[in-house]
Amino acid sequence: MTDNNFCISVQDVTKTVDTPDGELDILQNISLKVRYQEALVIKGASGSGKTTLLGLMAGLDNISSGEIILLGQSIADKTEEQRSGIRAGKVGFVFQSFQLVQGATALQNVMLPLELGGDKNAAEIALTSLQQVGLETKKDILVDLLSGGEQQRVSIARAYAVRPQILFADEPTGNLDAKTGQQIADLMFRLRDQSGTTLILVTHEAELAKRGDRQVLLESGRLQGKS
Amino acid sequence: MSGLPKIQSYWLMLIATVITVAIVNTSQMITQRISLLLDRQASELLAADLVLASGDPFADEYSQQALKLGLRLSRTISLRTAVFLENDVQLVELKAVDALYPLRGHLEKTVDLSDDKTRVQVGPIAGEVWIDSQLLALLGSDVALGSSSLTANWLLTYEPDRGGTLFNLAPRILMNLADLPATGLVVPGSRVIYRLLFAGEQSQVSAFSTWLKPRLREGETIQDLENARPEMRRALERTRQFFAFSIVLTLVIAMVAIAITARYTASREAPKVAMLRAFGISQSRLFRFYAWQLGKVWIIATLIGIGVGWISQFPLQWALDGWFGKELPPVTALRPYLVAAVVGFISLAGFSLPYLVNVIATAPMQVFRHISSPQSVRRNLLVSGSAIVTVFLVLIILIQSSKLAIATLAIILVTALLLPAIFSLMINLLLYSGPRGFWMRQYLLSRLKTSTRGAVFVMSGFSLALLAILLIAVVKDELLSSWQTQLADDIPNYFLINIPAGDIAGIRQFLKARKVQSSLAYPLVRTRLTHINDRSIKEIEASSHNSAHLLNHTFNLSFARDLPDDNAVVEGKWIDPDSGLAQMSVEKGMAESLQLAVGDTLSFSVGSDVIKAPITSIRSVLWENFKPNFYLIANRQLIEDLPQTWLLSALINDNQKHDLRQLLERFPSVTLLDITVLMARVRGIMKRASIALEFFFLFALASAFIVLFAAVQTGRHERQNETALLRALSARTSHLYQINVFEFTLMGTLIGLFSALFASLSGWIISVYFFQIDYHFSPALWAYSLASAIIVLTIAGTLVGRKVYNISPMKILRS
Repeated sequence: MTDNNFCISVQDVTKTVDTPDGELDILQNISLKVRYQEALVIKGASGSGKTTLLGLMAGLDNISSGEIILLGQSIADKTEEQRSGIRAGKVGFVFQSFQLVQGATALQNVMLPLELGGDKNAAEIALTSLQQVGLETKKDILVDLLSGGEQQRVSIARAYAVRPQILFADEPTGNLDAKTGQQIADLMFRLRDQSGTTLILVTHEAELAKRGDRQVLLESGRLQGKS
Repeated sequence: MSGLPKIQSYWLMLIATVITVAIVNTSQMITQRISLLLDRQASELLAADLVLASGDPFADEYSQQALKLGLRLSRTISLRTAVFLENDVQLVELKAVDALYPLRGHLEKTVDLSDDKTRVQVGPIAGEVWIDSQLLALLGSDVALGSSSLTANWLLTYEPDRGGTLFNLAPRILMNLADLPATGLVVPGSRVIYRLLFAGEQSQVSAFSTWLKPRLREGETIQDLENARPEMRRALERTRQFFAFSIVLTLVIAMVAIAITARYTASREAPKVAMLRAFGISQSRLFRFYAWQLGKVWIIATLIGIGVGWISQFPLQWALDGWFGKELPPVTALRPYLVAAVVGFISLAGFSLPYLVNVIATAPMQVFRHISSPQSVRRNLLVSGSAIVTVFLVLIILIQSSKLAIATLAIILVTALLLPAIFSLMINLLLYSGPRGFWMRQYLLSRLKTSTRGAVFVMSGFSLALLAILLIAVVKDELLSSWQTQLADDIPNYFLINIPAGDIAGIRQFLKARKVQSSLAYPLVRTRLTHINDRSIKEIEASSHNSAHLLNHTFNLSFARDLPDDNAVVEGKWIDPDSGLAQMSVEKGMAESLQLAVGDTLSFSVGSDVIKAPITSIRSVLWENFKPNFYLIANRQLIEDLPQTWLLSALINDNQKHDLRQLLERFPSVTLLDITVLMARVRGIMKRASIALEFFFLFALASAFIVLFAAVQTGRHERQNETALLRALSARTSHLYQINVFEFTLMGTLIGLFSALFASLSGWIISVYFFQIDYHFSPALWAYSLASAIIVLTIAGTLVGRKVYNISPMKILRS
């Protein structure tokens, strides 16, 4: 059963992996719902399962049990190909380590998801997106030559270029110094406010976590407090 | 350091080293055995491994020593005598042979020239003689030889050691040595040539030759391959050179495989090494550990490689036995095993250690953060320099011909330097041209351009492997077909020699009337070289066997208005037929042996006459084309009045052979020489070498497979990350499939194009400059190259690529 007010619904999800010492539950009985345009922060210590939960919510991996509804569609029993189809044009990502295509320019990196989605005006949209993050003058520079902060701005421009309904951000300031991290966080929330995109942010930084509409805490694979 | 990788982690490098050791071991064993066989083939031209000739009987000590060393021995005696042929006197070359003759090779006889010939291992029995076709009229009758009368039962059609050149022949009568005393032809003062023929193992022959040389008396000469038929010698030399060259190319692929797998292994080990260094483990300790791991790889690879090599000789021997009709001579020496082990060690150390040193010397932070340092150039130089030294050392060990070794090294170096530069250039050109869209062309090219992917290195390595395969497979066919063209079925198969000048017109008319194709007729004037630049040849010390032979040789001097077929003037100017000045053209090999140059003056004795002429040109001669070829050609005016006979060659097919009897009856002084057997032998040698090469081709393919495997494995980690990222960015499987096919098709196209280009260039250089054969542009080579590179790479790449299609995009969050 789906609820149109929620873009993601996680119901009693468990993620188990095989280890040399037997099965290990990374996440146990997680249930939570995310409203459209909400900024949800998942926080927790290192190894608590934050990134795994983000990945499962985005359909980047299979759950072991439970149910996840992403944008009105169950992704629990879907193949990677089908999940990719559900994400296409509706979901954006910002990664801790930027994950840009090295050897390509800033503009080309932003164009990539647009072209994968078959957008004919990829170059124009990508340029607009770069303007929004203040990098239009560096559009033709190879990303390898940009600073860490600039690379993360390209990554944000790439994520927003497809006008996603949901933006998943995994420790977006984790690889940056405090000042640059602050600028990146400002940029991300500004764009989110402008676009009304749902933001699901994973971080262990308390200051950044406070900027979300709602915070959930993960401890040893279990959700603490109210979800 | 129990956490470090075990020997199993190096299995790709291990297989590449096993193949290298196996190639060297097999090639060393087989080359040695084929060489022995080719020597034996050559020996058949002498009917022995070594022949001693003299005008006087030999001292018994020669035979005793030979027998003591375990050699087999045969005796022949040759002399000129005359027989009555249809009421006319005919000069003949009588040769008396014992029951062991020939020690090498065989004889062929027939009763009818148009019938099949019978191949036999022994000569005439007592009481009979075998006669040349020129003496056809005597067949079946008794031939009076001195005081004896012997029955001519057979026509002799092939005799392995008949003469130093094709044309020095009076008609032959072969008889049993036991009948010779009764003829009374050999008396003190007779002009007789005694020959002792020896055969045995190479070491025995060599020991005997060493013992014999200081004991030779005046007038005694040793004959060996050097003064056997030039056309056969050239064919053997070329075959050996081509054989050695192909083995080196096979080895190059194996070394490329080691280089690529070493790089792949090093790149995989880099994060572990960086981590261990971060934990404080010293560079020297890490180096010792990895050096020991490489040592284990070498020991295991050497043992397996030698085993594979040892086993490989059996199928090859089986394949070749059919051709040779006898077992390949055994190899007992340890050398093949030692050389294989040494080459394996040099190759493994030379290609792996630089990568190992680089990985260990790289600061851990650079590895963790994937950044290059200013020392990268120096490290690349270390890898390149070490590779060059390695290839050079291996070539020095394996190639006997320094010219070929240096040329091969140069070609490999130029190719190895040019290919990466060309591939980088091509990728950049493609990257900065074409439509603006990023996906998928620009995306792929930008990925190929990054050094972490190693695409340029892999493309260069695979291209070098393909180039070597093309050179072996296609250029081999080119060379063989060029040889075959020279020995085409429609080239003359008979020489008509000893033609009196007055019969030339009649013979030509006879042949024309029967539609027999024939060549130009050439005169032959028998001469001896007496002086070089007014210095008597008796004062000239021979610098080699060959020069000694040439100095004592009876030459057939000819004259010609035009340069004969397949001759090329390499120095000076061809004879000006109208100048009337004395001019001489000398064959290149003879000029080199006797250190002759244009401008030198040669003097010859012809009976009581002396002729003198300056050398005006030096010619290369394609001896193995079986056309009339000459060491010396003069201008017409110089020799036209001297005593001469003429020769011409003709293509006489099976239907026309019935006319041969009529020809010999009408022109009784003419000797008919069937060279079909000789031509078949040259063809046979090439075919045998070709079979052996095809066997090595299997090793080449195995190496190429390792190169291919390492090529598609290299950058797999990168490809997995790319796939995960593309998946996170919502790429469909069709996108991943397209990019994968596009990547390998593009790489295959570039590799195929440049391999074909380099193979064509190398093939041209090798054909023209080393094998002196015309090179024909081969569209097939381009087709093979493109098709094989694209098909093989795309299929292999797609199969490997499929494994990463289903990779979880979570990997990108975890990286």
